[in-house]
Amino acid sequence: MRRFGVLVVGLLLAVTTAGCGWPKDAGGTLADVRGGVLRVGVTENPPWVRLEGEPSGAEVELVRRLAGRLGATVEWHPGSESSLMAALRDRVLDVVVGGLDANVPWIEQAALTRPYVTTRTLVAVPEGGGAVPEDLAGVRVAVQAGTAEVAALAAEKAEVVTVPEVTGAEGMPVVVGDWRLGELHLTGTGVELAAHEHVWALPPGENGWQVEVERFLAEQGDDAVEELLVAAERAR
Amino acid sequence: MRVYGRFELPPDKAELHRRAVRLEWWTIVFFLVAILLLAVTLGQSQAMKAAWIEDMLGLVPPAAFLVAARFRNRRPTERFPYAYHRSVSVAFLAGSVALLSLGGYVVYDSVMRLIAKERPPIGLVELFGQRFWLGWLMIVVLLATMVPAILLGRVKQRIARELHDKVLFADAEMNRADWLTAGAAVLGILGIGAGLWWADAVAALIIGADIVRDGVRTTRAAVADLMDEAPSLVDGSGPHPLPRELLAAVLDHDWVADAWLRLREEGHVFVGELLVVPVADTDRLTERVEELERFARAFNWRVHDLVVAPVTAIETADGARPPTPDVMTRRP
Repeated sequence: MRRFGVLVVGLLLAVTTAGCGWPKDAGGTLADVRGGVLRVGVTENPPWVRLEGEPSGAEVELVRRLAGRLGATVEWHPGSESSLMAALRDRVLDVVVGGLDANVPWIEQAALTRPYVTTRTLVAVPEGGGAVPEDLAGVRVAVQAGTAEVAALAAEKAEVVTVPEVTGAEGMPVVVGDWRLGELHLTGTGVELAAHEHVWALPPGENGWQVEVERFLAEQGDDAVEELLVAAERAR
Repeated sequence: MRVYGRFELPPDKAELHRRAVRLEWWTIVFFLVAILLLAVTLGQSQAMKAAWIEDMLGLVPPAAFLVAARFRNRRPTERFPYAYHRSVSVAFLAGSVALLSLGGYVVYDSVMRLIAKERPPIGLVELFGQRFWLGWLMIVVLLATMVPAILLGRVKQRIARELHDKVLFADAEMNRADWLTAGAAVLGILGIGAGLWWADAVAALIIGADIVRDGVRTTRAAVADLMDEAPSLVDGSGPHPLPRELLAAVLDHDWVADAWLRLREEGHVFVGELLVVPVADTDRLTERVEELERFARAFNWRVHDLVVAPVTAIETADGARPPTPDVMTRRP
């Protein structure tokens, strides 16, 4: 019992004398990135990440800002989530972005950051464009084909109209992410089909690096992220 | 001779037992609060899963104690002519197995984490508008859960010794295991903060091995009790002196030429047989035998159900002298 106490006090002393670099990385990622190279795994997922030509999108822009803050040059490594996460576990990559949701199944391979922004997919109607349907049963609603929202909409008993791209000019209620309401001149109805908490994936155990990235993301604020999303949609 | 008696603890011991019951309810409350606190701070992480399993196991000994407390002093029935004292022994076994499982789980979990080279991620947390490392919050919660576990364990151990309650003793061991694992986790988190990914698993492994040792010891003691081992001390440190003392006191009666005593532990009470060889021409033998039974009961509150039989000689089938409490060989 006494030895145990001595051990605790000793460790606490070690902590306080270690200075501000706390917590430390198990492998030294933060030190490698600062003033060095930031190796980023990216998966296509507009408007978060778009890989046609030079990578663009809201999270690509955030990564560039983070790199600028740390004086690092960015190296982009496109790939599927499963291949990127395996590389992340072995610290071949420093971060993986691509509109990742907090519920991704990669917790064995990666450390997920705290969610830094929450987006919602809503049923929306044109601004001033007629009545807002309270109940979707039997109502024709446009939704982007091949998304999970198709099933969510069907579960609301709406008449699903799939379109390759939601433009807001369908002449019927549409399913969009909440950041697109202003840009497409839409008004959200009360019907929310899904909410996504967005995270980045980091190498596990690189806790100094993780705290640095999480601090950066937390400082961005929801409005700034929404601006980036709108800009990414416009650039399309 | 009085049979089918209901067992009651002596008044001072009964008061202690009521206190123990209250303590066990507090223990259950404590574990439920701890589970809730850990859920809030750790979320759905692997560490949370481990802490949750530990706390669930921590609920077993107090629950076993409280169940046994409802049964232990019931009157004997036709179906259970020896009454329900053994419910305490059964609860002791349940508590001991829970302790052993806890140790086994902690060892298994930490070894698997070391083999998988699992690097625990601990990031940032925001609380009351302040952003800081989640590790600090985890340490505060762990230290906060250690305090009641230490206090509860100490009080319970003291009461367990006075009541000779082995369930309560096993539960005190569980509380000790609990605060030790919490302490190990604090060291582990500090180690992780220092960049040592293996610190958490190694600290848990050392504590886990200690809990396994405790668990093996108490489980062996619980099984031995159910095997009618000669009575032992509540902490399992040696044979109980009562059978030897009682036999000596019986032999002190001048009408008793020889005596042989066999006792087993049924929870709080001792139950068994006493054979006496009266000296020649003893008068009022039946009355003397009954007096002897009352004497034994009054000798110590734990002597509860003792059959006294007068015989002409005491020997085993092969004519040897059967072992009595003072010459019985025991595992230390």
